[in-house]
Amino acid sequence: MREVIRILGIAREQWLRMAGGILLTIAVIIANALLMAISGWFIASMAVASITGASFNYLIPAASIRAFAILRTVGRYGERLVTHEAGFRVLALLRVWFFRRLEPLAPAGLESYTAGDVAGRLRSDIDALESLYLRIVLPLTSGIIAIILAALFVACWNLAAAIALLLALLAAGLLLPLLAGRLSTEPGRKAVELSGELRSMVTEGLQGGEELLLLGAVELQAMRVEKLSTQLIAEQEKLAKINGITLAGAVLCAGLGLSGVLIGAGSAVGSGTLAGPILVMLLLFAAAAFEATAGMPIALQLLPGCRESIRRIRELADAPLPVPEPAAPLALPSDYGIEFKDVSFAYDPARPVLQNFSCHIRSGERLALAGASGCGKSSIVELLFRFRPYGGEITVGGTEAKNLASDDLRSLIAAVPQRPHLFNSTLRDNLLLANPDASDTQLQQALDDACLTAWVAGLPEGLETRVGEGGSAVSGGEARRIALARALLKDTPILILDEPTEGLDLDTEKKVVTRLAARLAGKTVLIITHRPACLQLADKVIWMTATGDNRE
Amino acid sequence: MSDAVTQAPELTPEKWLIATTRRVKGDLLWSIAWAFAAGVLVLLQARLLALACHRLIIDKSAFSLILPLVGLVAGLALLRGGLLLLAERRAAAVAAGVKSDVRRRLYHRLQLLGPSGRSGEETGPLVEAVTAGVEGLEPYVLRFLPHLALAALLPIVALLIVLPVEWRAGLVLLFSAPFIPIFMILIGRGTENLNRKQWGKLGRMAGHLLDMIQGLPDLRICSAAKREAASVARVADDYRQSTMVVLRVAFLSAFTLEFFATVGTAVVAVIIGFRLLYGYLSLVDGLFVLLLAPEFYLHLRTLGLSYHARMQGLAAAEKIAPLLALPLPEEDGATLAVAPGPPTVRFSGVSFRYGGTRGGVSEVDLELPAGSVTALIGESGSGKTTLARLLLGLARPEAGRILINGIDLAELNGVAWRERIAWVAQQPFIFSGSLRANLLLGCPAASDAEIRVALNAAAATDFVDQLPAGLDTLLGDRGAGLSGGELRRLALARAFLRQADLIVLDEPTAGLDAATEELVATALQRLAINRTVLVISHRETTVRSAQQVAVMAAGRIVDVVTTAQFLAQEDACAK
Repeated sequence: MREVIRILGIAREQWLRMAGGILLTIAVIIANALLMAISGWFIASMAVASITGASFNYLIPAASIRAFAILRTVGRYGERLVTHEAGFRVLALLRVWFFRRLEPLAPAGLESYTAGDVAGRLRSDIDALESLYLRIVLPLTSGIIAIILAALFVACWNLAAAIALLLALLAAGLLLPLLAGRLSTEPGRKAVELSGELRSMVTEGLQGGEELLLLGAVELQAMRVEKLSTQLIAEQEKLAKINGITLAGAVLCAGLGLSGVLIGAGSAVGSGTLAGPILVMLLLFAAAAFEATAGMPIALQLLPGCRESIRRIRELADAPLPVPEPAAPLALPSDYGIEFKDVSFAYDPARPVLQNFSCHIRSGERLALAGASGCGKSSIVELLFRFRPYGGEITVGGTEAKNLASDDLRSLIAAVPQRPHLFNSTLRDNLLLANPDASDTQLQQALDDACLTAWVAGLPEGLETRVGEGGSAVSGGEARRIALARALLKDTPILILDEPTEGLDLDTEKKVVTRLAARLAGKTVLIITHRPACLQLADKVIWMTATGDNRE
Repeated sequence: MSDAVTQAPELTPEKWLIATTRRVKGDLLWSIAWAFAAGVLVLLQARLLALACHRLIIDKSAFSLILPLVGLVAGLALLRGGLLLLAERRAAAVAAGVKSDVRRRLYHRLQLLGPSGRSGEETGPLVEAVTAGVEGLEPYVLRFLPHLALAALLPIVALLIVLPVEWRAGLVLLFSAPFIPIFMILIGRGTENLNRKQWGKLGRMAGHLLDMIQGLPDLRICSAAKREAASVARVADDYRQSTMVVLRVAFLSAFTLEFFATVGTAVVAVIIGFRLLYGYLSLVDGLFVLLLAPEFYLHLRTLGLSYHARMQGLAAAEKIAPLLALPLPEEDGATLAVAPGPPTVRFSGVSFRYGGTRGGVSEVDLELPAGSVTALIGESGSGKTTLARLLLGLARPEAGRILINGIDLAELNGVAWRERIAWVAQQPFIFSGSLRANLLLGCPAASDAEIRVALNAAAATDFVDQLPAGLDTLLGDRGAGLSGGELRRLALARAFLRQADLIVLDEPTAGLDAATEELVATALQRLAINRTVLVISHRETTVRSAQQVAVMAAGRIVDVVTTAQFLAQEDACAK
């Protein structure tokens, strides 16, 4: 529970709404219990009055019944609105917090998060945050407080009945769900594992369907799928049965709780220490009080998974920055030459990527880096952006990059990365990302320079075309040119192009190179490429090898 | 595959779901019966509690005299718990039965349909339907259906008990009850559409944050990361506002429910109070009726709450039912078989365009002589793969015929024909399992010695022996762990094992380095001995092992030449 509270601390500005939601939820539960209690007391008193002939002022109880009925009804509506409003606001705060925390970590800090399925893991962890307030914190806190209040109310008249009710409520709300949780750990884990296996087996079967047909192995695969499905369903059936135990247990707790109240309060009535109508009141109150436990089993069931997600999220958010920010950042240089001095770098300490790499790009010079794949050309870009820690010195205008504020450093440099990411939005949004204030003329200029004008003109929706998830609606070559236009729009003194013409046909490549040659004048440029056409853009070419470098 | 459910595609999702549960009707009825019995026991328990109060308060009995009643209440609770346990067990069995039945039929059908029969659906959503979609049926059968039955039965029983005791209170219940479902349905209908949109939005909001995180390096490169944090906040806020608009209306249904149930109970209490005051009713009866009032509304409220379970089930059924209704490719009972030995294949005026223009074939005439190797070359999209698929029987010509030893392919028995052919795809199918199991896929009876021979022939022995577990090495998702060239050679070994007479290979050497290409090409030559082979390839090394080269362009065969002629032409072009 501590992790949950800690992460909710991030959304503490919403504490008023969260607490308000919890109070309203309690009020609604208690109002209903009181409605039933007063109704019971009222009818029992009327019956007694009828027999004894004593007068009974029925106006006040009748009015209270109406009042609690209204409080219950209106309160329920208000409670739903307040708690959902709070839930969404908390979620929004958590998402922004998470994003802000991840921002300085990318990309180096995110790689350790999971091996492989980062997207899937992230999605499920973020989804887990969604249920945090509404489905976990709210029912648990309001349930426990309502249980205590209910026991205190009964204790005002009869202690034994109060204790019996408290025990029954705690058993139904906490003990049973926790027990069920323990019972379902193993089948739950197996079910998750099996459904993962089933998913990949079905994917294999459907993707390889034609080959299976030709191999005559369709039935075999179908049998394998069915076997897994049967195993999975057996585990799920176990889980459903455990859920049945919780349900049956809750009914039993309620029955035993009522019996307890009947014994406690009934014996007091028998011995004349408690008025008869109060017994009816306490019984009806106790029966209605079990509503407090309604949301608790699901909350406790969700809690372990949510805690695990929060642990992962926290671990990620609390990770140290891959490259720390300077304590006292230096001012931006006015010269834009770049120098690498004895730079060493490795993703994995056992396998160095760069060893004592040195090179110098004078301000306004255009340098091309060429060489076999895997010799570390692309990591140089990431080092220059200070995304990863390195040994040696990288200076911009004579100032060590580590001593500049990273935002300042990046304001000097635009780049086309090796694998540009396009955001699932319109073409225009993707282009304006680097420079939201760019004018239409600047935008057009960048499109022209990236040879995209004709392509955009041919799209029915032009710049408003959506590029799809991860740029799935555009080809690789188009994505690269969009990234190029984006980098050109940023209009910085330093430009880095990592294989800017990869995926383009020779004709387009030639056009892009011609436009770029004009556009790059005056900028400090680093081009990483192995295509001959691109090498023409450079004043100087360095061939990189695994050991050292030789100039041309 | 023959059953009434799948033969009626016009069923609505709800009707389909109900028809599907018919198979497990027995368990479902038992589950409802147990739950119903437990519900009736609540009424009995209320009577006992009322009686105990009456004895203590009105009759002034000693407490010890009502102890048996207390014991009965506790005993009834135990009994009710037991009945609910039975009901849940049966319900779990119902859900399990429905899920396994639907999943089996769905997977089977999708598998039989093959990619061409799935009306262009991508694999991802289909996998979703078979896995998560089928799970989505569970809440419908496990929760909604029993709740529906109980909501129809138990309130009537309660009402029948209340009416003779105190008809005024009974009338209050009778007239307030129908409002609950009616209002819930009215409000539910109005918000259903909005609700669906909201679910879509929720997905988009989650997707947006993920997109932003995956693109963080680019955001930082563009100096846009700080700015985009605001857009994360904005998207979340937009979502909150639009959702709250929907919820304000949707929660009205909860409000209505609460209103009628609470006011109904309050009115019943007041009526009973005055009837008691004037002595027309005994406390035991009055209290009994008051205790029944919440029970009366309870099942209607539960039904209202399981509305979501119904929606979930219907959403799943909406996806699954049409898939189960897709027509199966007709196996028209063709029985002819081809004589053993390498067959002669002749395409005669074969056309297949499947709606599109790209990749189809038109009026193809081509002969593959028995025991020969034919190389098929052409630009991508010129119809090479389509032609191969037609020969393999994965698609049927729209016009023209494919003759095998002079017999129309359409008249050959599909199963028997497929046993005679082997296909080596560009990205061969490797399932997660051992290397041996993957090799045995097409020929389950082969011995280890036979596997060795096949691996040798496919030039795969070297790398298989280097694997730590040899033939027992586990191959992961789509054969991860092995290179493309190694997988290709495994697929060749699989083709050798099959002892097929006709072999179709799709770009067997594309993307391989020169040394591996040489290995695969020699393996191919061994494979071609005494078999009819069609190989789609551009590579010279592969073309060399062919006797004839067929050139395709825009879906037509434009040239058929001998290999020697073709290589000479190539040389001339190069010069």
